[in-house]
Amino acid sequence: MKCKQIRTRFADFLIGEIDQISKEKIQEHLTACSSCREELETLSETWTKLGVLPEEEPSDRLRPRFYAMLEAYKQGFEQEKRAPRSTRILNGWLESWWPRRSVFQLTLALILLGVGLALGYFFTSGGQSRTEVAQLRLEIQSVRQAMAVSLLDQPSAVERLRGVNWSARLEHPNEETLQALLNTLNRDPNVNVRLAAADALYLFYNYPVVREGLLQSFSKQTSPLVQVALIDLIIEMRERRAIESLKQLIEENTLNPDVKQRAEQGIQLLSY
Amino acid sequence: MNKKQGSLSLNSPSDNQLMEEVRDGKLEKLAILFERHHVILYNFFLRLTANRSISEDLVQDVFFRILRYRHTYRGESKFTIWMYQISRNAHVDYLRKRKEEIPLDEQWTIPLSREQTPAENLEQVEKITLLRQSLAKLPLKKREVLVLSRFQNLKYREIAELLGCNTGTVKAHVHRATKELGKIYFELSGGMVS
Repeated sequence: MKCKQIRTRFADFLIGEIDQISKEKIQEHLTACSSCREELETLSETWTKLGVLPEEEPSDRLRPRFYAMLEAYKQGFEQEKRAPRSTRILNGWLESWWPRRSVFQLTLALILLGVGLALGYFFTSGGQSRTEVAQLRLEIQSVRQAMAVSLLDQPSAVERLRGVNWSARLEHPNEETLQALLNTLNRDPNVNVRLAAADALYLFYNYPVVREGLLQSFSKQTSPLVQVALIDLIIEMRERRAIESLKQLIEENTLNPDVKQRAEQGIQLLSY
Repeated sequence: MNKKQGSLSLNSPSDNQLMEEVRDGKLEKLAILFERHHVILYNFFLRLTANRSISEDLVQDVFFRILRYRHTYRGESKFTIWMYQISRNAHVDYLRKRKEEIPLDEQWTIPLSREQTPAENLEQVEKITLLRQSLAKLPLKKREVLVLSRFQNLKYREIAELLGCNTGTVKAHVHRATKELGKIYFELSGGMVS
């Protein structure tokens, strides 16, 4: 066999999945060909070296986040099942027109938007084609914002969760969207949606309105889960002004002991 | 490596059975799939992104997508192949969104083993750090194929199915990726063989 052919089997050699006959043939070649021998040695060395990379455990946050998501999704799913038949048929019909992959969804949305703009252009016959691209971009952003805000207002927890995801994907959320997210964090009846909102807000903590909102949110939360999430966020943000809010929180008599402990840790972490 | 899965299948339902149940509306069964696969998936993303919190987000995203796209699951191929398909999409979408380079996780510290002497330990730590840096320098496609074959318990033909190419191509990629990684490691270690 030629070197080229021999080398196509080296990958099998690395994982040790090679039949005896091929193995003997290759070894025979290797004793005679130093270049192939060196090549395989170097490969095996790197391959073995990779074995020292340890497997890691994810943090304690991952599991509760997954179960919260699953629970929220299940709730929404149950509600959907209870929806009247006619709505389901209509939804099914509409859904059959709606492409599954987000790339195509976006394309369809853009096409529809394009058609709309073209019609508008046709009827008004203005001459501002240059500004249209910029305008189109602006419109897409504002469509997304509107979509996120309206989803956040839905009765189904899954829809609201989707709204939170939409908002998290915005590059430059406007005040209205941020405010809607903060409202969700403070008032949503479902704890999972509130948690997701906290995560989404973390992405935008550079906005002053978000920082302020998060600081004020402490006094409005009753669920220990959300309280802990908020404390973690504020620590990540290195927001020193939070020390006061945390101190106030600790003063509350009804506070869950775990939250209290976390708040005390938070004060310590933020104090230096 | 498959011993554990083999003994599981005697009494417990297979991944494919569970996913079919999830698809047919028993959403709670996803919890079992999560428990079986989230650690290995987390490590997959960790080796691709070198960033812990991003890797956790991606694991969460994958299981969310599994729920959302459960209707598209056809039990023809292994569940894990489908799961990695979704994982690759999640990763690509993430990269598109981020555009700029992902920061290497500074806190990606290495747990020290107590059985070794400090000198041996230091050597081990250096090796691990160098390997992580080398992996991060490897182009994404090569890094992906290497991680899939070396750490994710996938056979070459399964990777081929996942990537939509033939097994020969996968083997050639593994060969090239390993070779390039070796080179990068050699350069990073200052040309000294360890």
